[in-house]
Amino acid sequence: MHRIPIARRTLFAGAALLAAGLAHPAFADETPQRGGTLKIAVLGLDTADPHRHTGSIAVQQVFVETLTSIADDGTVRPFLAERYSVSADGRTYEFAIRRGVRFHNGRELTAADVKANFERVRDTVKRGWLTSAMKLLTAVEATDSHTLRVSLSEPYAPFLNLLSELWIVAPESPGWAGTITRPIATGPFAFGEWQPKVRFRAPAHKQYWMAGKPYLDAVEFDLRDADDNSLALRAGDLHVARVPHDKAAQLKREGKVGVQHLKDTTWYFWSFNNRKPRPPFDDVRVRQAVTYMLDKPAYMRFIAGDAGVVTNQMAAPGNFFWDKALHEADRHAKPDPEKAAALLREAGVDPAAHTVRIVSWQDPYTQIVVQAMRRLGFGVDHQALDDIGAQRRLGQYDWDIAPMSSGPRADIFLRFVRMTSDGPNPVLWGGVQDGEFDRLVAQAVAAPDPADVRRNYLSAWQRAMERYYTVVVGHSANAIGVRPEVRGYTTGFTWGQHSAGGGVAFTWLAGNRS
Amino acid sequence: MTTLTAGSGSDSGRSRPAARRPVIVIGLAAAVLLLAAAGPELVANDPLAQSLELRNAGPSAAHPLGVDPLGRDMAARLAAGTRLSLAIALAGSAVALLLGAGVGLVAAVAGGWLRSVLMGLVDLVRTMPGVLLALVLMVALGNGAAPVILALGLAFAPIFALVAAATYRREMAAGYVQAALVLGSGRFALLRRHVLPNIVGALVTQAALVVPRAITTESVLSFLGLGVAPETPTWGRMIADGVPYIETAPHAALVPMMALSLVTVVCVLAGDRLRATLDPLRDTGTPRP
Repeated sequence: MHRIPIARRTLFAGAALLAAGLAHPAFADETPQRGGTLKIAVLGLDTADPHRHTGSIAVQQVFVETLTSIADDGTVRPFLAERYSVSADGRTYEFAIRRGVRFHNGRELTAADVKANFERVRDTVKRGWLTSAMKLLTAVEATDSHTLRVSLSEPYAPFLNLLSELWIVAPESPGWAGTITRPIATGPFAFGEWQPKVRFRAPAHKQYWMAGKPYLDAVEFDLRDADDNSLALRAGDLHVARVPHDKAAQLKREGKVGVQHLKDTTWYFWSFNNRKPRPPFDDVRVRQAVTYMLDKPAYMRFIAGDAGVVTNQMAAPGNFFWDKALHEADRHAKPDPEKAAALLREAGVDPAAHTVRIVSWQDPYTQIVVQAMRRLGFGVDHQALDDIGAQRRLGQYDWDIAPMSSGPRADIFLRFVRMTSDGPNPVLWGGVQDGEFDRLVAQAVAAPDPADVRRNYLSAWQRAMERYYTVVVGHSANAIGVRPEVRGYTTGFTWGQHSAGGGVAFTWLAGNRS
Repeated sequence: MTTLTAGSGSDSGRSRPAARRPVIVIGLAAAVLLLAAAGPELVANDPLAQSLELRNAGPSAAHPLGVDPLGRDMAARLAAGTRLSLAIALAGSAVALLLGAGVGLVAAVAGGWLRSVLMGLVDLVRTMPGVLLALVLMVALGNGAAPVILALGLAFAPIFALVAAATYRREMAAGYVQAALVLGSGRFALLRRHVLPNIVGALVTQAALVVPRAITTESVLSFLGLGVAPETPTWGRMIADGVPYIETAPHAALVPMMALSLVTVVCVLAGDRLRATLDPLRDTGTPRP
C-alpha cells in the first residue's frame, strides 16, 4: 500500500479541513421553504441556565445568543453587537448593541440587559470559562440604550472570542437571582419543552432579528446521547446528527446522507499526573520512554481513519497557533520501542516492578495506550470510567497516565488555561503546577500583537512538551451527518448549532408539506 | 428417536429432544469446561496483543475466528473469555449460594422476629430485577472482578434463601425428623446430621440453574462497561466491542454472542438434568404417601 509521508498527510488533512469550511454549498441558490421541524442529535443540554452550563453549548445556542460569534476560520465576528471597537491600549471595549433585537417575550434588547448579564456572570459564576476574563473587569457601563463600554484592568487577547460564550439572557427570566429555569433570550428558537436526557423542543422565535429567519417551525433535539446515529439518519428519524468517524466514512460511500465536519478539531492526548507524580513517572526520562512506545499514526487511524491528523500541538495544522517547525521536530512521530527500553534502563527502572495506573473514559482507543504499556513490560491497572467517574478519579491524583480528548473551543486560550496552575477543571491535564508556564500564558493573553500572542503560546507549549506534561497524539474534526432534504445547514467552528454565519437559523427542509 | 425413562422428573414418560439426553448434555458441559480450563493454552495468540493494521479482519489461517476492532485474535479472546466469564459466574453463584442459604437457614431455624426481618430483606431484594440490582451494586462497589462476583452473589442470594428456608421447613415436618426429635436429638445435631444433607441437593440444583443467569448478567455488566477492565476478554466486553461494527465486521460481535448463547443453553440443560437427578420430589415411579 502506498503511504503518504505523515507530514504531507498532515498538511493535506489540514487543508481539507479548511476547504470543507470554505466550500460553496450547492443549495445556496435555492429558494428556502418554510415550516417543518428539524430533528437533530448532537450533544446534550445540562442546565436551563446558560450562564451555568458545564458541558456542551450545542443545544443552548439555538435559544440564546452572544455579543460575538466565531466564524468558520476561528476569527471573531459581530453578532448581537453590531460592531465593536478596542482602545489602543487594549483595555477598553465599546460595543454597539444591535437595534431591533427582541427577546422571546417581545421586549427589545438594550445595553442595560447586556450589562446585567456581565454582572451576573462576574458575581455568581465561579470556575467557568469566563472566570479569568471576569476577574479583569473594572467597569461595565451602558453609555446609552444601545452602547456598552467594558473596561479591563489589563489587555486580554481572548476577550472578544470568549464573549462568544457570554450568553445574553433577559433579566426577567424566571430564576435570574439563582438558577434560571426558563431562559428568555434572543435566539432564533425559544426555550420550549425540555425532558433532560431525552428531548428538547424549541419553537421558532417569530420576532427574530435576522430578516425572514428562521425558516423552520421548530427544532427538536434528541438528548439520549446515542453512540451511533447513522441508522436513525438513514431511516429519516433524524435530519442532522453526530456520527462516529467510521460511520461517517460509510455514509459518504453510500452517498445518501451527507457528511460535514466541525471547523475546529477535537484533540487527542495523554497526560501524566503532574500534580502528584508517582515514581517512576516523576522522572522525565520515564515519561519520554513510555511516549516512545506510542504509535501516533496508528492511534489516529484507529480513532478517525483517514480524517485524523497526527501532530504534537494543541492547535491543528492550518491553525494560526500551529507551528510547522515544531511539528517537524516531533521525536515521537513514529514509535521507537528500542529507545523506550534504553531510556528505562538509563533511568534504572524495571517496568515489571511497576504497575501503571491508567484512568480513562470508556473509549476503545484508550486500550491502545494500555497495550503499549504492557509491551514495554509494565503491569497495568486500567480504570475505564464514565465522564463523572473519570473526572472524580482524576481529581484524586493517584494515577499515572490519562489518555483523553478535548473538543473544539472558541479560543486557543481555553486549551492553554486548563494547564495553568489555577485553570478551570485541570484534571484531564494532570493538574500542571508550573509558574513559568503560567507566566508565558499570561504574557500571551496580555500581548496586544497577535504575533506576540502566538510566540508566547508556542513558548509555553514548548515548555509543556519538554516536561512531558501532556503528549498530543493528533486531531480530528467531528463529523455530522446531514440528510439530503436538509438545506442551508452548515456546521460551525464549535458544537454550537447557531452562529452569525450558519446553523439552524439558516436551515430549511426541502419538500416540507407542513 | 425417543427414549422413555422411568423416574426422571418432569420429563418422565415423554419423548425428549436429543439435546436433553444426559450423554449429550454431559458431553457439551465437559467441552465447555475443557475450553475454559485449557483453551487459552491451546490458542497460540495472545488475547491482548493488538495488530491495528488487521482490525476487523475476517477469519484466516492465522486467525480462525477473525480479528476484533482493536486487531486482537478473536479465538484467543474467546478462549480466555470463556475461562473468565465462567469463573466469575461460578464464583458469583457460589457466593449467592453461601450467602443466601446461610440467611435462609438462620431465618428458618431462629424463627420469630429474626425470621421476619431476614426474610423481609430477602423479599425486598427479590423485588428488584437481578440485572438492575447488580448494576446498582457495581456502581457502588466500582469496577473489577471481585465487585462483579460480589454483585452477582448479592443479586442471586435471595433465590437460595427461599429454597433453603422452604426445604428446611419441609424436612422438619418429615417423619424421620420428628422421630429424631422424639429420640432426643438436639436442634443443632438435627440440623447438621439430618436436615442439611437432605437440602443440599435442592441447593446444588438451584445453583446449577443460577449459573447461566449469572453468566448472562456478567455479560450484561461487561457490555455496559461495569465489569472488568475494557481490554480484559469477557464475552460481554467482546460483544460491546463488536456491536458498533455489526454491519461491516459482523464476526466481531457474532462470535461471542454465539458462545454466550451456546454456553447458556448448555448450562440450562445441565442444570435441568441435575435437578431431575437430585430433586427429592422427582417421580421415582413409587407412589407417594
